[in-house]
Amino acid sequence: MFRDSPRSRLFLAVLVTLAVALLVLDSRPGSDPVTSAARVGGEFVFVPVAAGVGWAASPVTALREGMRSESAERVAELEKANADLKAQLQAARIDEERAEQLDELLGLAGLGGYEIVTAQAVTRVTARGYADTVTIDVGTDAGVRPDMTVVNGSGLVGRVTEAGRRTATVTLATDVDSAVGARLEGSRKIGVVNGGSVPGGPEAALTLRLFDLETPVEAGTRVVTLGSHEGAPFVPGVPIGTVDQVQVAPGELSRVARVTPAVDFASLDVVGVVVQGPERDPRDSVLPPRPEEEEGDRS
Amino acid sequence: MRATATLFLVAVAIIVQTTVVNRLPLEWGAGPDLVIAMVVAVALTTTPAAAAGCGFAAGLAVDVLPPAEHALGRYALVLCLAAYTLALLHRNTGAVGALGGRPSVWAVAGTTAVTAAGVGVGYAAIGLLMGDPRVSLISAVVNILVGAVLTGLISPLATFPLLRMREALSGGEHTTIQGLVSPGRW
Repeated sequence: MFRDSPRSRLFLAVLVTLAVALLVLDSRPGSDPVTSAARVGGEFVFVPVAAGVGWAASPVTALREGMRSESAERVAELEKANADLKAQLQAARIDEERAEQLDELLGLAGLGGYEIVTAQAVTRVTARGYADTVTIDVGTDAGVRPDMTVVNGSGLVGRVTEAGRRTATVTLATDVDSAVGARLEGSRKIGVVNGGSVPGGPEAALTLRLFDLETPVEAGTRVVTLGSHEGAPFVPGVPIGTVDQVQVAPGELSRVARVTPAVDFASLDVVGVVVQGPERDPRDSVLPPRPEEEEGDRS
Repeated sequence: MRATATLFLVAVAIIVQTTVVNRLPLEWGAGPDLVIAMVVAVALTTTPAAAAGCGFAAGLAVDVLPPAEHALGRYALVLCLAAYTLALLHRNTGAVGALGGRPSVWAVAGTTAVTAAGVGVGYAAIGLLMGDPRVSLISAVVNILVGAVLTGLISPLATFPLLRMREALSGGEHTTIQGLVSPGRW
């Protein structure tokens, strides 16, 4: 069944050895000249094609965005607006949406005192679907380096893990490999926000682990980044999400809570890479005002 | 002629995979893998050594193109071994195409899906060996199954045309049963 000529076997052995050598070379910490050169070459091919596909796909994306926002409640409203919308080009509409996202992003950057480079998310799914990463269309040419914070108008997106000349790979905060130092709104209590669920914790996109077991945490408390030494990989004060369920796990050494991300990871578009952190910790000033007034009116 | 056309189509598949398929907003993580679909077609119509070379080259191209989230060589290793094994099994048992020499769409789709599942298992296994924290049992099973089914579904559009094209350009050598294929041909 597995008969084969010795030459063919030798060829296979050479290829397997080569692949394993590359694997070992690339998985060592630090960058390697061989693999970096290969990635630069790959990027050289990828960038123009990805830009072309982006241009060609924009009407389709616009159509899909249009379909997604449809809901029973809005039908009447949409019918009223239909006459106006017909006149609007779909492409113009997506530009508007992007401008809005960009506005929000600049608002967040202004509040926190972050210096950002804006970018657009290019791909979403990775080769085999394990890692939660996106590719963005800026790179070292625009001053982007690995271990920089990535934000959008709503809050923390992730951090740059790989930067080429004109593209960069961003590991999202929801990736299982991601751990972000976090601080609770209003208090100095600190913890770690992990992507995905932790063992023994609830099923979640983000899980918060507080170091202090005694800390009272309530659902609805918001979480911001604590900030790392010299702002790498995370700058302080970026909203991460809202605590929505606290788990009381017997035997757990830290308090575990499920966190709803501030960012809608399903529809990432315009993002910003923080190239220069703020001079002072912005504390809670980046968080949007609480929607308490509205609730007060209703009750 | 056959080699040039194959090279061109496989390169197009790799580019389309990384720029278009990876861009699709798929909710369940894994998507169809055009690269596996193309490599299967090559492996079914060539020698094991050539299939291994094709799998290695295609896998390395996927490793190099963004997003660079896994170590270089991981996909190349898996795809190289998968293509070699498939070509060897096909050559020595004639599993696909023994009946009348022309494999049906179903057989090709099944072979592609099984290969995709094998590649998925291999990729996850390397992840486990290298201590990749993202590979857990549940995520691996879901990814492998979804990836295999989707790849099998697109194979009538990717694997099958390339297979037919390679058979047509080979001048009828593949219409005979196994073992009579001229060795060393691309």
